[in-house]
Amino acid sequence: MSRSRPEGMSDATSAAPADPMVLPDGGAPYGSPRARTWRAFRRNPLGTVSVAMLALLVLVAVFAPLIADYPSGYGTEVLSGPSAQHWFGTDNLGRDIFAQVVWGTRTSMVVGLGAAGLAIVLGVAVGVSGAYFKRLDTPLGMLVDLMLSLPVLPLMILVAALAGPSVSTLVVVIAAFSWPEVARVVRSQAMPVVTLSYVDAAHVIGGSNRWVLFRHVLPAVSPVITVSVVLTASRAVLSEAGLSFLGLGDPSSWSWGAILHNAQRSGALSSSWWTAFFPSLAILLLVVAATLCALAYNDARNPRTRQDDHR
Amino acid sequence: MAILRFGSLRLLRGLLTLWFAVTVTFFLVRLLPGDPALAVASPTMTADQRAKMLADFGLDEPLLLQYVNYLAQLVQGNLGISFRQSQPVLDILLERLPWTLMLTGSALVLTLIIGLPLGVAAATHKGGTIDRIVQIGGVVGQSLFVPTVGIALLYAFGLGLGWFPIGGAIDSDVYGFEAYISMARHLVLPALSLVLLQIGAYVLTLRTNLIDALGEEYCNVARAKGSSERTVVWKHALRNALLPTTTLVGLQLGFLVGGAVLTETIFAYPGIGRAIYESVGQLDFPVMQGAFVLLAATVVVANFLTDMAYGFLDPRVRVS
Repeated sequence: MSRSRPEGMSDATSAAPADPMVLPDGGAPYGSPRARTWRAFRRNPLGTVSVAMLALLVLVAVFAPLIADYPSGYGTEVLSGPSAQHWFGTDNLGRDIFAQVVWGTRTSMVVGLGAAGLAIVLGVAVGVSGAYFKRLDTPLGMLVDLMLSLPVLPLMILVAALAGPSVSTLVVVIAAFSWPEVARVVRSQAMPVVTLSYVDAAHVIGGSNRWVLFRHVLPAVSPVITVSVVLTASRAVLSEAGLSFLGLGDPSSWSWGAILHNAQRSGALSSSWWTAFFPSLAILLLVVAATLCALAYNDARNPRTRQDDHR
Repeated sequence: MAILRFGSLRLLRGLLTLWFAVTVTFFLVRLLPGDPALAVASPTMTADQRAKMLADFGLDEPLLLQYVNYLAQLVQGNLGISFRQSQPVLDILLERLPWTLMLTGSALVLTLIIGLPLGVAAATHKGGTIDRIVQIGGVVGQSLFVPTVGIALLYAFGLGLGWFPIGGAIDSDVYGFEAYISMARHLVLPALSLVLLQIGAYVLTLRTNLIDALGEEYCNVARAKGSSERTVVWKHALRNALLPTTTLVGLQLGFLVGGAVLTETIFAYPGIGRAIYESVGQLDFPVMQGAFVLLAATVVVANFLTDMAYGFLDPRVRVS
């Protein structure tokens, strides 16, 4: 679940209609690079729609208690289809699925962001040190290669089952097996940066390794990190859903995967489509929005693919 | 000779990966808070019974000794005894392995059969309608949640149209040729879920590599000689574009195996993934651990075979 496919990603990025860099009547793009990226991003409907979608999901997660009551207790209407009273229908115990999806958003967001945050810190640390300290490159590279060639989901299952299901277990487990992908991407971006002459110059004026790393190397790879955060978070959501679907979710909180797990285990899956459809839709919306958002950001950042406005 | 050297280096790498997988799981299982002994010990056991049981499973020895013993047993093909079924883990899993191999193998072959023409079509019509569809499909396909795909297929073709069975791997009352038909019919939906899951990565990679290859000098030479564009694409460019695409197989294998765990759960397919799902419910750690080791070994072997094929196809690889 957690493996990114950079070939596909980078390709879809570069394949956006390329602006041949012909500036009309000599006008130059204005503003700082960051401002130009942001302007290009806002003009891309894919980017704005996906950001709006992500923002909506975050709002749902934050304000879950205001939107729906916590789904607990048993209802009388068992497995009733979507209606005015139960927008998304009810499950095999008569609990409202709309409420489950709303509260599930919270768990999925917490696990996704938590795991992504941890994985990014680890992955960036390993990736940048691999590129910067030549002596560490071989052992770290080998570790990353080894981790990447293991079937990750079965490993996560084993660890989650051992450590006992809880939200914090999920966060740690998913992060522990997601960082190698981040490390790989960050390392490949940091490699050319550390050979640039401004990094040498920073050394020459007597900068410490720490200062050079934080002041000069990290900012240069920060765009990759931004994209990584979004992609890693969406993969973490998928991993969480997968583990919960297999029954390894936090039993005390709802999540999208857990709703599917209930539907599968109770057999409601084959008779009542709504028990599977709405949580699935939520997962799909979040992950597609995150992926498109990352793509749009990549496009907006790349001067060759974005269309600068000129004055 | 170069191929021998290349082969032994790859073999060494495979063994290293396997050792890493085994070691990581061993120490995870022993050092994590969930005490496997507690999982088997029932609360009614006396201290003596518990101690005897720990001794039976060899859980009372020093950690390092346990590790050496575990490795020694593993080399002899002993993955331990299942906590719940009182049966050797290897026996339980070997019964399941052929199903998983068939599922993932056919998914991989189908992916390549469907993906190849799609990638070629997208690359040769760069910027066209097919290309746009392939690109959007590739991105969305990579964001799919495996159970969602499985459930959707199950609803559409299993419950809705009734074309294919919704679970299991074979009907119980068929023999001979009919048994093969039944197996194939049961295989369609789970395999298709896995195809949909991974085909995007293959098509997008092939597309990029083919577009690059078509821009190379040798393709221009072929065109200048008067070869048809068809010959240039299929005979010259595709051969070179396929090589880097083969490496993707290795990268995707772990992912495919993970997908199989979820797919087998949805379709009640009696493979290793389903065994993992069942052992999670029963907290049967030896089975979970053994299943992971066996899946890792499968990935390592498949990776080795891919590398060797790559080495045979592309002389540049084995020389460097």
